[in-house]
Amino acid sequence: MNVLDAADLTVRYGGSVALRDATLAVGAGRLVAVAGANGAGKSTLVNACAGWSRGHASIAGDVRLDGRSVARLAAYRRARLGIQCVPEGKNVFGELTVEENFALVPAVPREAGRHVFSREDVLGLFPRLHERRTHKGSALSGGERQMLAIGRALLAGPRILLLDEPSVGLAPRLIFDVLTVVRRLVDDGLAVLLVEQNVSAALDVADELYLIERGRIVGHGDAAAMRQDERIAQAYLGGLAEVEP
Amino acid sequence: MNVAQQLVNGLVIGSGFACVALGWTILLGAARLVNFAHGQMYMLAAFICWFALTRWGLDFTAAAVVAVLAMGVLGILMQSAMSQLVVSQNLTSLMIVTLGFGYMIQGAAGLGFGGSPHALASPADKVQYQIGGIWFTGQDLIIVTVTLALYAGVWLLLNRTRQGAMVRAIAEDPKLAQIFGINTWLVYVAVFMLEAVLVAIAAVLVAPKTPILTSMGFEEVIMTFVVVVLGGVGNVGGALVAGLALGIFTAFFGALVSPAYTTAASFAVLLAFLTLRPEGFSFR
Ligand SMILES: Nc1ncnc2c1ncn2[C@@H]1O[C@H](COP(=O)(O)OP(=O)(O)OP(=O)(O)O)[C@@H](O)[C@H]1O
Ligand SMILES: [Mg+2]
Repeated sequence: MNVLDAADLTVRYGGSVALRDATLAVGAGRLVAVAGANGAGKSTLVNACAGWSRGHASIAGDVRLDGRSVARLAAYRRARLGIQCVPEGKNVFGELTVEENFALVPAVPREAGRHVFSREDVLGLFPRLHERRTHKGSALSGGERQMLAIGRALLAGPRILLLDEPSVGLAPRLIFDVLTVVRRLVDDGLAVLLVEQNVSAALDVADELYLIERGRIVGHGDAAAMRQDERIAQAYLGGLAEVEP
Repeated sequence: MNVAQQLVNGLVIGSGFACVALGWTILLGAARLVNFAHGQMYMLAAFICWFALTRWGLDFTAAAVVAVLAMGVLGILMQSAMSQLVVSQNLTSLMIVTLGFGYMIQGAAGLGFGGSPHALASPADKVQYQIGGIWFTGQDLIIVTVTLALYAGVWLLLNRTRQGAMVRAIAEDPKLAQIFGINTWLVYVAVFMLEAVLVAIAAVLVAPKTPILTSMGFEEVIMTFVVVVLGGVGNVGGALVAGLALGIFTAFFGALVSPAYTTAASFAVLLAFLTLRPEGFSFR
């Protein structure tokens, strides 16, 4: 059984449809990437799984967590059940210290399927945070903020982690560090849905890839197979390779 | 003029200002909400206390507890009625809706308690102390100590507990708080209940010093706005300093110039202060 099953997700912001009939699944111990251009609907898709959006959105379709539908639950209830989302942009509290950001996390109930991380585990993954624990979120660097955001999602005992462009704005070395940490968690059995604009980078770490264009899922497959796919190489990999330094 | 006596008077008046303003400070600063029924809630708390005291024959402490509990319940009810506006942070509508609540409370109190003035008689108000030529009442002593204790308690709650961190998180970014698994609606209810409870405590402390009327309300808490702004909006420590400073100013202005114009003079100070120091007494 999959950890996360989203079926026919359609999201509207006001009158405009940002996502149409998206269906996707994430199994245990799988790193599933979502890639696509700016404005394609990647964030809309992961946020819809979490039942969340920055602005006002209407979300239709079903979301199942370990087989149980959570589509009618508010975002905070889904978070407590273990759908842990790290949204893009502002994802930690700037007025709160690192410690206080961590302290907000509700106690994790002991139940099967949840990946439990202690504070020591999290600080072990991100030692920088330990040095910064009394600093306010607003005083952290972009990379430290990203670590804090992922760290607190882990503390909350995820069944699945939704990461929306965790590498954006990070130095190449840090991108590598963050993705390595994520990969290690997946190898330990965690399910992860990762948004990544860079198809080539996504294919490097992911097990599976969904391609999204103008609000529709237009491709899906194993990362290895998609790497070999001529059309994908032409449409995504070639173009991006030229832009990259 | 007895300077020491005026300082003590000012401290008592200022503690009253600060006490009345505490709930508003938390509401605005911590949760980014406003409540323009604050004054009528103050009035209602005073009348519930008076009613329990004179009609049910409770002693003052018991009557005060009844008033505080009743206001806590009212706070929860008001918040529940406004929950859509609150969760969407629709401040303009909240201003109007709470203003409306205020007039409804005033109307209901007028019907229930009548239009004539009453005295809320606190036994501590009759106890007089004299130390080195300075006079004050037991009520004065209670106002100052309870206010200081409440400020200390609220400061600790906001800055040293998980619940306080939740309130500050929601003030900063209520949407993000949901991602953190926080039920924002519940926190708003708790904050609004706290505001109602605090204004009720302020009422049972301060209202015994003057006659109470169901038409009183806004004017009784007008200094709240000066205190909240002077203190640096939502700054708990700043509100205490601003309240005390304003009380001392009021006492001296009343003694040296005229007690009739203290409100006008306070607002003049506020304007001057905002021109020179727009951030208020900022301690952050
Ligand atoms: N809150 C909102 N209100 C209105 N429209 C929105 C909102 N959020 C996103 N959109 C629109 O929905 C579409 C999809 O946006 P989305 O943020 O999901 O794209 P994305 O694939 O994550 O892009 P990026 O790579 O830039 O993060 C865009 O056309 C965007 O303009
Ligand atoms: Mg996005």
